[in-house]
Amino acid sequence: MSRSKWIQFVLDRMIWFILLLVILFFWLRAGDKFLTGINLINILLHASVLGVLTIGQTICLLSGNFDLSAEGAVSLLTVLAAWLMLPYREMTLAQAGGIGWELSPFIVIPIILVLGTVIGWINGFLITRLRMNNFIVTLAMQLFLRGLAFVISLGAIMPGTPKEFNWLGGGRIGAIPVSVIVTILLFLGFEFFLKYSRFGRELYAVGANRDAARASGFKPALTITKAYMIGGFMAGLASWMLLGRLEVSVPTLGVGMTLETVASAVIGGVALSGGSGSIMGAFSGVLLLSVVDTGLNLMEVDPFWVTGVRGLIILVALLLEVQKARIRVGAVATRSGSSTGTAAKS
Amino acid sequence: MDTSQPVILEMKGISKAFPGVQALENVDLVVYGGEIHGLVGKNGAGKSTLMAILMGIHQMDSGTLEINGHRFTSMTPHEALEAGIAYVPQQVRMMDSLTVAENILAGNLPVNRLGLVDWKATYQEAQERLHKLGLELDVHERVEGLGVVEQTMLAIAKALFSNAKLIILDEPTAALSRVDIDRLFGFVRSLKKMGVAFIYISHHLEEVFEICDRVTVLRNGQLVGTYVVSELDIPKLIRFMVGEDIRDYERSSSKQDDPVLVVKGLTRRGHYEEVNLVVHKGEVVGLSGLAGSGAASLGRALFGLERRGIGEIWVNGKPFTARDPRQALDQGLAYLPQDRYRFGLVGSRPVRENVTYTILHQLLNPAGLISFFKERTLVQRYINDLGVVCPSPEQRVNLLSGGNQQKVVFAKLAATRPSILVLHEPTQGIDVRAKIDIYRIVDELASQGVAILIISSEVRELLGVCDRILVMYNGKITAEFKAGEPVTTPENILLTIEGGNIYEQKQMDPVRS
Repeated sequence: MSRSKWIQFVLDRMIWFILLLVILFFWLRAGDKFLTGINLINILLHASVLGVLTIGQTICLLSGNFDLSAEGAVSLLTVLAAWLMLPYREMTLAQAGGIGWELSPFIVIPIILVLGTVIGWINGFLITRLRMNNFIVTLAMQLFLRGLAFVISLGAIMPGTPKEFNWLGGGRIGAIPVSVIVTILLFLGFEFFLKYSRFGRELYAVGANRDAARASGFKPALTITKAYMIGGFMAGLASWMLLGRLEVSVPTLGVGMTLETVASAVIGGVALSGGSGSIMGAFSGVLLLSVVDTGLNLMEVDPFWVTGVRGLIILVALLLEVQKARIRVGAVATRSGSSTGTAAKS
Repeated sequence: MDTSQPVILEMKGISKAFPGVQALENVDLVVYGGEIHGLVGKNGAGKSTLMAILMGIHQMDSGTLEINGHRFTSMTPHEALEAGIAYVPQQVRMMDSLTVAENILAGNLPVNRLGLVDWKATYQEAQERLHKLGLELDVHERVEGLGVVEQTMLAIAKALFSNAKLIILDEPTAALSRVDIDRLFGFVRSLKKMGVAFIYISHHLEEVFEICDRVTVLRNGQLVGTYVVSELDIPKLIRFMVGEDIRDYERSSSKQDDPVLVVKGLTRRGHYEEVNLVVHKGEVVGLSGLAGSGAASLGRALFGLERRGIGEIWVNGKPFTARDPRQALDQGLAYLPQDRYRFGLVGSRPVRENVTYTILHQLLNPAGLISFFKERTLVQRYINDLGVVCPSPEQRVNLLSGGNQQKVVFAKLAATRPSILVLHEPTQGIDVRAKIDIYRIVDELASQGVAILIISSEVRELLGVCDRILVMYNGKITAEFKAGEPVTTPENILLTIEGGNIYEQKQMDPVRS
């Protein structure tokens, strides 16, 4: 019994052990270059925007739904924020200014956060009330939002966001970037929140078995809508963080991030079928992707290889997940088998 | 019986045990060519296990199996098909979006010289094959466009095209109207003349008398006997099915006078009509009926899982207006679903969470978060009270045994402190020991003043635990049996469940003699 518990313990934290192994590998191969403070902070910085989006994605996945729209929201909200804050300028060399209202960041930040949440609500409404397929709804939403971003920006980049705005993305407290601190706090906060809040319970129940959740007095439609609203809010936050770091809006910001967020969640053990996985698990997935990116970069591996390596990592993670379930079932089967054996004897 | 026909199937001394249950013990079954052979018995009597063995899904522990003179000691599903055994379930599964012809010829569609499908030949051949069986269907039609009875007949035809000798029909009429039943029976009779053998499984005994030549009765995994149908009548057959075993559980009534659940004139077209019933405080009422009688949908509708239709419902003297499970729970009505894997439990989550899903709002601390301390104490209390056997409250629910899972559902419902508890087949799929535990819990809750309505087809179990038993037939409550009255016998109840009238069968003598 204690042995199977021990196996369970290791299986549940498998991904952290792998993360350690990967770090060890890079340390041995890339030497001291890898384990410097600056490099570690780089890894975390790399993980921050992706991490914030992954939290939103994970919450949607836990409810049993994809959110493909978040990267579209990032495109739109970064462009919109720059457009509202920057002074008017004629377009030159595909560079442009804003609409000329020069709104204060303290107005623009709430706007993009609220707008992100509203986008999530629309997703939730379409999926739960109008019973449209979550994959298609959020895919269409992604395209629509990115289209809007192009319309507003005319495809041009808008450089020079104000200092007050850049604090979250570019600011540092001592040597540590604000975005890194915020991301880690968000992961810890959401892990705690999902574990101890009523919403967290509902989320797992609805994702794992929607019918039973309903028959237990939960309202799946409401829970899923809330999950999308959190996803939308996190997209708003990620937009603020990303634009603040780059200080320039590009309408293609966010492209490809959906797949990275889904990959991180899956690597971290979040089930695409819903109801299984954790926020900290997803964090380990984010870290793994980010460590591998940075490590390969440091070893001066051809960047074309990096994408392929990521694909392999995702495959291996999925393989482990499947094996994990099998080992677990096997352990239980032997246990119950032995118990019926004793029952028969007595 | 025309004994000149060859023996198609001979099963002898079949036994099969599952962990904790002897599902079949020394059962014989012989089926001749051109015979329609009924197989009857209550739920759990062993019909499905016997058929599963015949189809090669389960292996028998002992006994012999002979199909068309070939002897098998063990059989795979593939070998069973090869031997000519075909199974037609209640809900036929075919390639719905393809045409009748494609379904018939699937796997060997005729091709032309280019290796492409020769559609003209396909349709022609399909048409001819069906015609030979006397079945006229539009072969161009997609299967999903056919009616239920056409799909069933097509499935039978398809089985015959792949050389089936013996076709198992499992409750084929459950979703059919009278006209369709006549069509199906006509088709089956014409095939019988061609020498095809059928095993006909049904809970509708009238149909057994209508179509079968002989009938084999199983009870508790044992063979009662095989009888020629023309020498039987329905009461006799019911007596064979029910047997004379003792009650499973004895209790004393805790019924009080105040009505808790009052239903007046509840009607939902196609499901139930003019349902009137009252359940009092501390009373246990059984509600029984065949599939489709309306008893099941009444339960779901009360809980707000389905539309309810029109009519009045009162709970504790207040109008009951709940439109979804949450409101139903808040207004004092809790429901234990029949399908506990789908509706009862979130299998991948721990016992602790499953128990408290219904009452999370009562466990919040001032910060609005769930108090784990309160939760753990509460869950531990229910685990102890209901005797849930689990290594820890953190165990995933789907790793528990059926009986313990059911106890977890009970804990979840009892935690809401309901005034009325509706149980739908509470003992389905759990072993005898756990059944007794479950009824003890029901009894305990009733003695605490909870009104209980049990929707179940396990008449004998209902007799053991209920103060009254209501019978539903065709959407209406047709009979009421009070505990302790001489007329309240399993035979009479089963008869009314089948749509009969006990007062027309006065010559029926009690079984206990």
